[in-house]
Amino acid sequence: MISLRIDGRLIKAEEGERVLQIAIREGIDIPHLCYHEAFEEPYGSCRLCIVELKEGGSSRITTSCTLMAREGMEIKTDTPEVIKHRKLLLELYLAQAPLSNNIKKLAERYGIKGTRFHKTLNLEDPLGGKCILCGLCIRACREIIKASAIGYIGRGEATRINTPFLEENPDCIGCGSCANICPTEAISFEDRDKRRIMRSWSNTQVNLKICKLCGHPFTPEPLWLKVKEKSTYTPSEEIEEVCPNCRIKIVSKRLVKPYSL
Amino acid sequence: MDEGKAKIIDEIISKYASRTGRVLSVLEELQEKEGYLSKESLKYISTRLNVPLSDLYSVATFYSFFNLKRAGKNIITICMGTACYVKGAPKLLEELEKLLKVKEGETTPDGSFTIRSARCFGACSMAPVIRVNDRTYGFMSPERLPAFLKLYGWKQG
Ligand code: SF4
Ligand code: FES
Ligand code: FES
Repeated sequence: MISLRIDGRLIKAEEGERVLQIAIREGIDIPHLCYHEAFEEPYGSCRLCIVELKEGGSSRITTSCTLMAREGMEIKTDTPEVIKHRKLLLELYLAQAPLSNNIKKLAERYGIKGTRFHKTLNLEDPLGGKCILCGLCIRACREIIKASAIGYIGRGEATRINTPFLEENPDCIGCGSCANICPTEAISFEDRDKRRIMRSWSNTQVNLKICKLCGHPFTPEPLWLKVKEKSTYTPSEEIEEVCPNCRIKIVSKRLVKPYSL
Repeated sequence: MDEGKAKIIDEIISKYASRTGRVLSVLEELQEKEGYLSKESLKYISTRLNVPLSDLYSVATFYSFFNLKRAGKNIITICMGTACYVKGAPKLLEELEKLLKVKEGETTPDGSFTIRSARCFGACSMAPVIRVNDRTYGFMSPERLPAFLKLYGWKQG
């Protein structure tokens, strides 16, 4: 155990824990976009989580998601210097993602309503005007789901994210983790009839599993198969291939039965 | 994927046994052999190397060295680096597009020329610079372009 100070508060932490992680656990609010607890390694791409670090007489600004806690560190999360940089970053993000409500809200929190930078708005890109290229969706798809259906395409200004060749990708299992983790709500999909259509991923289509009782689609079939394969739990035949709604009915009937006798 | 192509790729892959740097080496050699990376080739390499297609596509679109489209017999690359840009590279490109009647990134219908652009060939002292296949020509001007094209079999028309 070590101790450090964040905004004056003395906090105990494990050596090597990341400062942002500690702050989140302690309820100290440091804005961040590319950090997610699901990943072991931070990525450090969005830069919003910058803080001021004082250690051994010198101080510097650095990203807290990548900063490993050390004994005696002093962290300040909102010095004028930090705020100044953060505001500039948000202004840049407003230009990169002018259509994202989350970015707008975040910017507003810092009193930023407009941007002096040229707005990027590539309407051919389904993520255009929303994606900040933080990479969370790619990492979730690759490291957690292990589907690797999407990736960065191109480079520099023209960089974007999609499936290879901008074509439907059979590697996608339609799980929606990408949409879930996206900090700007850039990714969209819809369930129509018995298919999930990944709008943002070149309209990749994935079959939905049908509930054997009510006949409603309830989850992407490849996802269902993957979970079934991985899971050590075998559901009873009665509830297997049954949608959550019907399961609730079955289970509650089971619970109620002894009393109704 | 036809067998001949698969064999070519298998051969290239067999040369690079070590895991590190394998993807780039394989793509590079195939690009050199075929002049471009076809979708089928990338898919085949993906299964052979057990690397997600999305990774290969990222790499192939990141480096300007790789092409995903079959290129013409002669590739004309215009340098758009700072020095060349200042010395009139945009005018060169404009003229070239007019002469060949295709845009940057495209290939003439007869398959003889492809126009590309790149950033700095490291020959800024001779700006503006163009490259035809692997030869570099400096101090280029729109007026000199037709004569150069003729060297590579272009006919005005
Ligand atoms: S789509 Fe969302 S999660 Fe993916 S890189 Fe863009 S902002 Fe990040
Ligand atoms: S959260 Fe630290 S750089 Fe994005
Ligand atoms: S800018 Fe064209 S060769 Fe350097």
